[in-house]
Amino acid sequence: MTRTMDVLVVEDEMLLAMDIEAMIEDSGHRVLAEAASLQDVQALPDDLNPQLAFVDLHLAHNSTGFEVCSYIRQHWPDTLIIFVTANVSKIPADFSGAHGVIAKPFSHAGVVNAIKYLADGAFDPPPSIPRPASLVASPHLKTRWG
Amino acid sequence: MRQRDDWHLTDVLEYEHGRGDPFAAAVRATRMPMVITDPAQPDNPIVFCNVAFQRLTGYDREEIIGRNCRFLQGPDTDPAKIAEIREAVRDGHAVDVDLLNYRKDGTTFWNALYLSPVRDADGVVRFFFASQFDVTERVEAQNIINDQKLLVEREVERRTADLRAALEAKTLLLHEVDHRVKNNLTMIGSLLRLQVRTIDDPSIAAKLDSMLERVDALAVVHRQLYQSSDIARFDIGSFAENLISDVVGSSGRGDIDLDIKAQPLFVDAANASALGLILNEILTNAVKHAFADGRSGSLSLLVEGEEDHGIIKICDDGPGMPSSQRSRSIGTSLITRLARQANAEATWRDAKPGTCVTITFPKTEMRS
Ligand SMILES: Nc1ncnc2c1ncn2[C@@H]1O[C@H](COP(=O)(O)OP(=O)(O)OP(=O)(O)O)[C@@H](O)[C@H]1O
Ligand SMILES: [Mg+2]
Repeated sequence: MTRTMDVLVVEDEMLLAMDIEAMIEDSGHRVLAEAASLQDVQALPDDLNPQLAFVDLHLAHNSTGFEVCSYIRQHWPDTLIIFVTANVSKIPADFSGAHGVIAKPFSHAGVVNAIKYLADGAFDPPPSIPRPASLVASPHLKTRWG
Repeated sequence: MRQRDDWHLTDVLEYEHGRGDPFAAAVRATRMPMVITDPAQPDNPIVFCNVAFQRLTGYDREEIIGRNCRFLQGPDTDPAKIAEIREAVRDGHAVDVDLLNYRKDGTTFWNALYLSPVRDADGVVRFFFASQFDVTERVEAQNIINDQKLLVEREVERRTADLRAALEAKTLLLHEVDHRVKNNLTMIGSLLRLQVRTIDDPSIAAKLDSMLERVDALAVVHRQLYQSSDIARFDIGSFAENLISDVVGSSGRGDIDLDIKAQPLFVDAANASALGLILNEILTNAVKHAFADGRSGSLSLLVEGEEDHGIIKICDDGPGMPSSQRSRSIGTSLITRLARQANAEATWRDAKPGTCVTITFPKTEMRS
């Protein structure tokens, strides 16, 4: 039985944020906080301990998912960072330090399976189930989970 | 030998005494403008000119004799050509140039000048012999051709730039449209999912879930299309493999064994959505009906490519299709109708136990 993850959702499209949050909760995890911009993320208390962050690339107030990614890496270095974006081609080869990407438009099955896989790996790496096709892993995830 | 003597006569042409000489007479009478200059005198003056030359330049004989040929030059004469002639005179060799010359009345003409030294028996240059030829028409025609060539080249360049800009604009537009389709598909899926969560009636919720799965299948087709480098064809083999893992994985049914034998198989991109939806219907049917009420079992996917057609076979080991089907569902009719649209064929077979659905469809030819 996998434990409950605390998840950060950084998405400026409210409809998608609501949907992703619902999928996280339906999968038995907790939404720690939601943010629509880098500024929102910076305003979060430092003592959070998210295991997972879903980060859109294009965010409110002209901020980007890359900025959020580097902020998360500084403040919560253990957090798994997964980009959720329609602009997969804009992601550099090293993923700016993030661990993977889910391409939009995502499917319910795709996101739910990715959450299951990530939760499995977050608490007891490496994951015992195969990685779903909906989640593209970055080099960092591969080194992290061998 | 008389002939040889005659040749010598011309060779040392005596301009004052040449009147009785048939060769001199020929030179005088020819339509080809000609002059002879004497390099032994200061500034190499003209010592003979024929009538054709006078006619060409508009000067009288008295105005011509005793002057250096440069009096035909003007402000637009090419200095490089003049230098070429000067060099030939200095070194005593022949030269062949097109030169812009000026007539007495100031009008210009293109002069095809051929200048050659005339040597005596000792090899000393005694005269220069120059024939001229008005080639204004040829040079001007050539100039017009060059001008037009330049014009055409510029025009081609301009049009190419226009086309390139149009292509860029079109590509940009395509990306923008693609982006909007992605966003809208994502939002439609999210909206439906949010709605499903509010519905208490399980049968309505189930119907909405089916809709959601269809929208999701379309989203996955679109995503795979835009992420592929080739927008003309679609890898239905990999799609089927991903979809079966997705559908079974997200159903939370760890008790359904998957047996997947897939390979990349390309179809026309125009048929991607139809075939994607068909696969979705077959797979969701299997999960819903073959493994209903928590019954475990195994589900197999086989993707095969023949010469010109592909086969996808999905088999479950459930109870098999009921003999009489209710008509309130749309799944089976979606499969049959969409198959017809995509030139495909769907057949059901009672696998005893279970159901096998086979779709046969045309492949696209391989491209690089
Ligand atoms: N693999 C299967 N095994 C057993 N029964 C099946 C299978 N596939 C379809 N059926 C039967 O055929 C019927 C018609 O399927 P169909 O997909 O048209 O409708 P549905 O799945 O009930 O509803 P929906 O319109 O949401 O697809 C189903 O109700 C089910 O009884
Ligand atoms: Mg059905």
